[in-house]
Amino acid sequence: MPKGRQSPDRPAGTERPALPGFDELTIGANGAEARRASEWLDTTCRQHNVPQGLAERLALCLHEVLANVITHGGRTALSAPIRLLLEITLEQDCSKASVTVSDAGIAFNPLSVPNRVLPATLGEASVGGLGLVMIRRCSDWLDYRHEDGHNHLTFGARWDAR
Amino acid sequence: MSISYDDIGDNLRRIVISGRLDMPGTDSVATKLGELIAAPKKGVVVDLSSVKFLASIGIRALITSAKAVQQRGGKMVLVVDGGSSALMSLEATGVDQLIPIFRNAADAERAAVA
Repeated sequence: MPKGRQSPDRPAGTERPALPGFDELTIGANGAEARRASEWLDTTCRQHNVPQGLAERLALCLHEVLANVITHGGRTALSAPIRLLLEITLEQDCSKASVTVSDAGIAFNPLSVPNRVLPATLGEASVGGLGLVMIRRCSDWLDYRHEDGHNHLTFGARWDAR
Repeated sequence: MSISYDDIGDNLRRIVISGRLDMPGTDSVATKLGELIAAPKKGVVVDLSSVKFLASIGIRALITSAKAVQQRGGKMVLVVDGGSSALMSLEATGVDQLIPIFRNAADAERAAVA
């Protein structure tokens, strides 16, 4: 598994009570790689003591973001590597884990898409757009920017580590 | 990833899926699921107790299946573990309000043929 860098341990005696962590992964744009990325994220979050439920939520978000890139990102998205950055900050009152997905596909800002009204019956249910619903419901925040020909989408979750 | 089934009498089919219903996992079972759903049974139970990861592509397959059963006058229900990742996915998308969910197979089987 290509692993770029990992945060060094914080020196003893520093004032902040917990260690920040970050990790990177570069993947290809296909379903098997999306699976590998979700498993990597889940495992890495657990290694950094992110609560299991949140780790699962983030892994699900990541899979949905990658599915959108693979399905709708166009030819450039499929031919270029996708970079993933996980950042974890453990604090006493509010810990955070965020994931940034950078891809070279067609510019797409998911924040510009209106919230979808959930159907009331099975007959009304549409099979499209569920991925974005999941991303919004399973993350605590979303940020997007388009820079240097790349989409950079960040999502994350926060929790009280006390 | 695996998919299997057993028929319980003339009216009920139980389908068990295990593994990860992500992109590759759903691709590997979608055709078989469609074939199993097409059988003229009144009730269909899809047991997701052993599904560890349920992505939107897997949910799409479930919605398509439930609609197909409904269109022939039948009913499809799900078995999902409480607190599982699969349940979280179903709740996040509101699909738990569209396809009945049960915690155990016996309740699900009764509901599917009611």
